[in-house]
Amino acid sequence: MSAQGYSGNPAVQVTNQLVDNNSRSVEYLCGDCDSVVALKRGEPIRCRNCGHRVLYKQRTNRMVQFEAR
Amino acid sequence: MPPRKAPASRAPRPVVTKAPEAPKSKPQPDEDVVMADAPSEPPGKSVPADGDVEMGDTPEQPHKQTRRRRAPAPNRGPDEFSALLEPFYYGKSLTDPINTAQDKWNLLPAFLKVKGLVKQHVDSFNYFVDVELKKIMEANKYIKSDIDAKFLLEYTDIRVGWPTRTEEDELNNHKSSVTPHECRLRDMTYAAPITVDIIYTRETSRIKRTNIRIGRLPIMLRSNRCKLMGKNDREMANMNECPLDPGGYFIVRGQEKVILVQEQMSKNRVIVESAKGIMQASVTSSTQERKSKTYVLSKKGLMFLRHNTLSEEIPIVFILKALGVPSDREILMMVAGEDSAYQDMFTVNFEACGREGIHTQQQALEYVGHRVRIMKKPQGGFQRRNYYLEAIECLSSVIITHVPVVGTNFRQKAQYIAFMARRVLMAIQDPKLIDDRDYVGNKRLELAGQMLSLLFEDHFKKFNYDFKMSIDKVLRRQHRASGFDAFAHFSVHQNHISMGIERALATGNWNLKRFKMERAGVTHLLSRLSYISALGMMTRISSQFEKTRKVSGPRALQPSQFGMLCTSDTPEGEACGLVKNLALMTHITTETDEDPVRRIVFDLGAEDICAFTGEEIHAEGVYSIFLNGTPLAATDMPKQFLNGFRRLRRTGRISEFASIHINHHYNAMHIATDEGRICRPLIVVENGRSKVTARYLKALRKGTMAFDDFLHRGLVEYLDVNEENDSNIATYERDINEHTSHLEIEPFTILGAVAGLIPYPHHNQSPRNTYQCAMGKQAIGAIAYNQFKRIDTLLYLMVYPQSPLVRTRTIELTKYDKLPAGQNAVVAVMSYSGYDIEDALVLNRASVDRGFGRCQVFKKIAFAPKMYANGSMEILNGVIDDKDKNEKKNHALGEDGIAQVGKELYAGDIYFNKQTPEVAGGVSGARQSFKATPQTYKLPDPSYVDKVMVTENESTGAPVVKMLLRQTRRPELGDKFSSRHGQKGVVGLISPQEDMPFSDKGITPDIIMNPHGFPSRMTVGKMMELLSGKAGVHDGSYQYGTAFGGSKVEDMAEILLQHNYSYHGKDYLTSGITGEALQFYVFFGPIYYQKLKHMVQDKMHSRARGPRAILTRQPTEGRSRDGGLRLGEMERDCLIAYGASQLLLERLMLSSDQHQVDVCDNCGQMGYQGWCKMCESHEGIHTLTMPYAAKLLVQELSSMNIKVEIGLEDEFKRE
Repeated sequence: MSAQGYSGNPAVQVTNQLVDNNSRSVEYLCGDCDSVVALKRGEPIRCRNCGHRVLYKQRTNRMVQFEAR
Repeated sequence: MPPRKAPASRAPRPVVTKAPEAPKSKPQPDEDVVMADAPSEPPGKSVPADGDVEMGDTPEQPHKQTRRRRAPAPNRGPDEFSALLEPFYYGKSLTDPINTAQDKWNLLPAFLKVKGLVKQHVDSFNYFVDVELKKIMEANKYIKSDIDAKFLLEYTDIRVGWPTRTEEDELNNHKSSVTPHECRLRDMTYAAPITVDIIYTRETSRIKRTNIRIGRLPIMLRSNRCKLMGKNDREMANMNECPLDPGGYFIVRGQEKVILVQEQMSKNRVIVESAKGIMQASVTSSTQERKSKTYVLSKKGLMFLRHNTLSEEIPIVFILKALGVPSDREILMMVAGEDSAYQDMFTVNFEACGREGIHTQQQALEYVGHRVRIMKKPQGGFQRRNYYLEAIECLSSVIITHVPVVGTNFRQKAQYIAFMARRVLMAIQDPKLIDDRDYVGNKRLELAGQMLSLLFEDHFKKFNYDFKMSIDKVLRRQHRASGFDAFAHFSVHQNHISMGIERALATGNWNLKRFKMERAGVTHLLSRLSYISALGMMTRISSQFEKTRKVSGPRALQPSQFGMLCTSDTPEGEACGLVKNLALMTHITTETDEDPVRRIVFDLGAEDICAFTGEEIHAEGVYSIFLNGTPLAATDMPKQFLNGFRRLRRTGRISEFASIHINHHYNAMHIATDEGRICRPLIVVENGRSKVTARYLKALRKGTMAFDDFLHRGLVEYLDVNEENDSNIATYERDINEHTSHLEIEPFTILGAVAGLIPYPHHNQSPRNTYQCAMGKQAIGAIAYNQFKRIDTLLYLMVYPQSPLVRTRTIELTKYDKLPAGQNAVVAVMSYSGYDIEDALVLNRASVDRGFGRCQVFKKIAFAPKMYANGSMEILNGVIDDKDKNEKKNHALGEDGIAQVGKELYAGDIYFNKQTPEVAGGVSGARQSFKATPQTYKLPDPSYVDKVMVTENESTGAPVVKMLLRQTRRPELGDKFSSRHGQKGVVGLISPQEDMPFSDKGITPDIIMNPHGFPSRMTVGKMMELLSGKAGVHDGSYQYGTAFGGSKVEDMAEILLQHNYSYHGKDYLTSGITGEALQFYVFFGPIYYQKLKHMVQDKMHSRARGPRAILTRQPTEGRSRDGGLRLGEMERDCLIAYGASQLLLERLMLSSDQHQVDVCDNCGQMGYQGWCKMCESHEGIHTLTMPYAAKLLVQELSSMNIKVEIGLEDEFKRE
C-alpha cells in the first residue's frame, strides 16, 4: 500500500523529537510484509517497506531450554 | 490415553474389511429410489464430489467451505484442499438414494448457508445501513435558520463507505487496507465514514456539495459494509481472519463488542390485562416522532381513556364523541355490536353525557381540551387557550399516534378506541381473553440495527442542532466581514457523531434524551473462551424485565417458544429464564414495506373499514383486518382472504416475512410486517402432502436449487409465532393428516447452537442439558483459525483438541468439529481407589503424559506510556550498566527494555524496563532525568514470552507494546473436567498406567469415572454416547447423537457384536494392581470430555503472614492480594459455642490487627506515650492490647461527636 496513506498525523511529530540517537537500534519484523525494520527509541513505529504499523519483536538468539513434561 | 486409540481421533479410515455399514447409510427400500421425474445421474459424475456437496454448489467444482460465500470465489484452485476436509456430505454420497422423510433436514444446512447463525444481527445492521439511515436522513432533511429565513440546508443523500483508519479519513478515492484484525491489535475502532450530499444556501445561490463526512460508524463484522463480505477462505487467511468466525459484532477501541438481542413487548399492539381488579387494554404507540402509552380501562363498570397528556381519565364516550362519532347508538354499536350482554355492560357509560351535558362533538372537544396538559409554556405572555383546537391536536397526533389521521378523518382512530373498549368488555365477560404477556407472539426482539438507529438519529439531530446554532450565531451579527459560507460550520461537529456512537458501543450505555431511554449494559464484550462461547453469545437474548420481580411468568418456559427459542440454554440462578437463546432455525424479521400489503388486502376483496358502521363490523361472520395493529379493512370471507393472502405470499407477491393470523375470539385477522418478530421456516403441506418432494431435495443436493428457491416456489415458508399458533404442524411426514398445514424441517432445531452439542439430549434429564449449556461455554479448545495471531487479555487453548466421535447434526452445522473443545477419552465406569468419590475423576498418568487435557494459557500484558502535562512521557529503555545486566531479574530484557521473545519469566523478573520522568512539571526541552519503574512478573508459576507486538496508538501516535505470555499446563489434581452431559468432576487422582485396569486387548482407560454419577442424574445420553462412540471406533465411523434421532442403540449393539464385544458395551478388565480379573464387567468406551477453564493453578492460595490493608491493619482479602483466609462469623459462632476463648482471641486479634493502646483509667480516653492529653497526667495510664479496628471505631465515632469511654477493671480483683 502506498505510504501516502499515512501522513500528517501531528501527534507523530511530537514523538519524533524524542528520537534518541545514542541508543542502539533494535530489529523488528513487520506484521504485514515480514521485512526487518530497525528502530531506535522514539522513532515512529512503522515498516519502511510497506508502511504497516504493527511490528513484532524477533525471537531471542540466546539459547532457551525447555523442560518437556 | 492409550496409544491404540489415536486413530479414532483422525478422520474416519476407509473401511477395508467387511465391516458392517453404518446404519444411516443402510440401503433404502426400493420404492424410495424410484423417481420417475428425477433425472438419472451418470455415476462417474458424483465421484469427485464425495468430499463436498454442500448445498448450492455444483458438484463438479469442489469448493472451499465458507458459510456465507456469495460471489463465486475468483481463485478456486488453492481451496481444493479444504474439500478433502469436508465431511462425506454429512454422511451421504451423491449417488445415495433420497428419502424425503429422512433427507428433508438437508434444508437446514441450506437455510444456514443463506441465513447463518448470526444472520439476524447482520441482516439488522444491513437494514440499518441501507434503509434506516436514509429514512432518518429523510425525516431530518432540512435545516433552517431562525435568523435568516432564506437559509436552507438540505440533505439529498446519505451513505456509509468502507472501513478506514481515522488518519485516512481525509483522503478521497482511497482504498484502505485496514482489516478487522489490525483494529484488534492496534486498539482501533473498525469504522467507516458516513458521508452525505447537501445543497445549501450561500449568499443568494444554492450550492451543492457531495461526499461530506459527518462522522464514523462502527461496522459490524460480516455485514455488507465489512471488508470480509464475500471473501473466500484464502482471502480471509490473508487478512488474518477466521472463516468460521460468526461475525455480527463490532470492534470498538480494539475490543470485540456485541449488542445483545433485547426482548421487549411489541409496539402498536393492544394488550388486555387485569391489574388489581381493573381490566384495561393498553397500547404503546410508537412512530418515528413519538412514543406514548394509551389505556382504555374499566373502573366500577365505567370505561375511561387514560393518557399521560390528559390530566385525568376521560370517559370513553366523550372521547368517541370528540372523535366525531355523532350518535349514542353508533357508539354503542361500535363498541358492543348487537350483543345484548355487551350492550348492557356498556350503556351505563352514557349516563356521563347527561351528567356533564355533553352531547355534541364540539362539547366533547371542549371537555377534552380542558384536560390536556400544557406541554410547553406559550411564548409571549398570556394567551387564551383554545381548548377546542388543543383537543383536536391532542387527539390527532398524541393519543394513539400510530393510527394515522388523514385530514380530519378521525374515523379510524375512533374505531381503534372502540376496538380497545370492546376488548375490555370481552375480557370482563370472559377472563380467558386476558392476554398473556409472556406469549412470545406478543414480544419483539430489538437487534443491533435498531439500537444503532436510535443512537444515530439522536446524534444526527444533535449534529443538526449544533450546526444550526453555530450558523445562527454568525447570522445574528449584522455586519459580517466576509461572505458567509455555512459549510465552514458543517464539518466542525463531525466528531460528536463518531465519538457518541463509539462511546455508547464501548460502554454499553444507551442514553437517549428523546425517548427518555437510559439503558446500561446493552453491549457486552464478546467472550472468546471457546468458539462455542462466542457463538452462544451471538444468539443470546436478554430480557428488559427487572430481575427482582418475584413472579415466575417471564422466567417460565413458554409453549410458544417451541422452535423459536432454545428450550435448554439458559443460565442458572439470577438470570434464569430471563436470558434466552435463539434456536437453530430462528430468524428475526426486519421491517418490510406496508404499502404493497395494504394494496393487496384491498385487491383480495376486503373493504375499507372506515366504510363500515359499528353493527356491520361486529356482525356475524365479518372479520376485521388489522395491519400492524391498525384496523384497515373488513371482510365477510375470512377463510378465503386468509388462503388468498398466504397464496400470494408463497408466490412471492408479498414479502416472505409478512405474516397473517386469524383470531376467532375477536373476529379479527392480523397482518404483521413489522421488525423484530421471531420466525422460522417450515415446509408447506397442501392436500395432505408435503410440497418438498424427493425431486426438489435432489435438486438441492445437486446444487441447482438453493434455500431461497424453495422459498420462492412456496415449498417452504417463514411463520412467526402468531401464525405458527394457527397452523397444524406435523413433526414427521408420517404424521401428516388432512388438517396438516405445515411440516417441521427437523425437530432437533428446537435446540440452539450450544444445546446442539449434546449427544442424545432427548435421553437426558432436562436440567442436565441446561448445565451442559453453561459448561460448554467454559470448555477449553480451539477458538478460531487465527487464534495464534490474536493478542487477547486471556486466552485458553487446548494443545491437542479432538473432534467428537459422537457428533450431532448441529455440531456439523456450527462447524464445532472444526474448532473442537475437548478430547475423546476412554472411560471406564467403575470404582477405583477412594479418590473418585463425589464426582472426582481418576486420570491415567500415561495419558496425561501423552497430552490428554493439556492446555495453554496466554496472558496479555500491555504497555502504553503515561503522558505528562509538560510533554514528557514514560519510556522503555534497555539496561546499560554491565553490572545491572548480570542481575538475575534482568536476564530476559533485550536492548529495547522489553523482554525477549522465547525467554522464560519467573516471579520477580522484569519484562518492561519502564522509566518515568523525574520532574513531572518541568520545562519542556530541558534534558529529562528518568527514574526506573520496572514492571515485574508476579505469578508464582513461570511463563514464556510468546510474542511481543510493537505498534502506535491510532489517535495519539504514542507507542503501544503488547506482550503475550504463555504457559503450558498439564492436568493436575483438582483441575475440572466435564463430559457433554452436565457431569462435571475434578481430578482426584492421577494414577500410573501400570496400576490402571486393562482390557484383554491391553487398553487402559484415560479416565475412570465413579458409577455413582449415573443413578441420581439420569444422564442416559452419556451411556448412549459411550456405546455409540465405542461402536464408531471399531467401525471406523462417526456416529450421531442428534436430538430426536441419531444412531440407534440397537444398531450400535449390533456393530459391537460384530466386533466381538458385548452388546452392553461392557468389557472384561484385569486389575493393574493385583493382576487379578475384576469380578465384574466394566462399562468401557470413549466419551467426549471437555477441560473447563477452572484450574487449580489459578486458584491455589495460602498465606502465613503477608500484606495488610492500610486502613484497618487487618490482612488483605483475596488471592490476587495475597490475602488471608478469613475466620468468618459462622466459624466464630462455632468457637464461641465450643468455648475456645483463647483460640478466638488469637484468631480475631493476635493474628489479625493486634494494637497497643494507652488508655487513661480516669477519663476513659486514649492517650499516647504514657500521657493522657485529657487529664494532662501520667496517672491512670494503662497499656492494653486491642484490635486496631476497635481503636479505629472509637476514633471514627469521636470524629462524629460521639464520645466513647473505655472503662478499665482488674481481671483478678484485689480484695
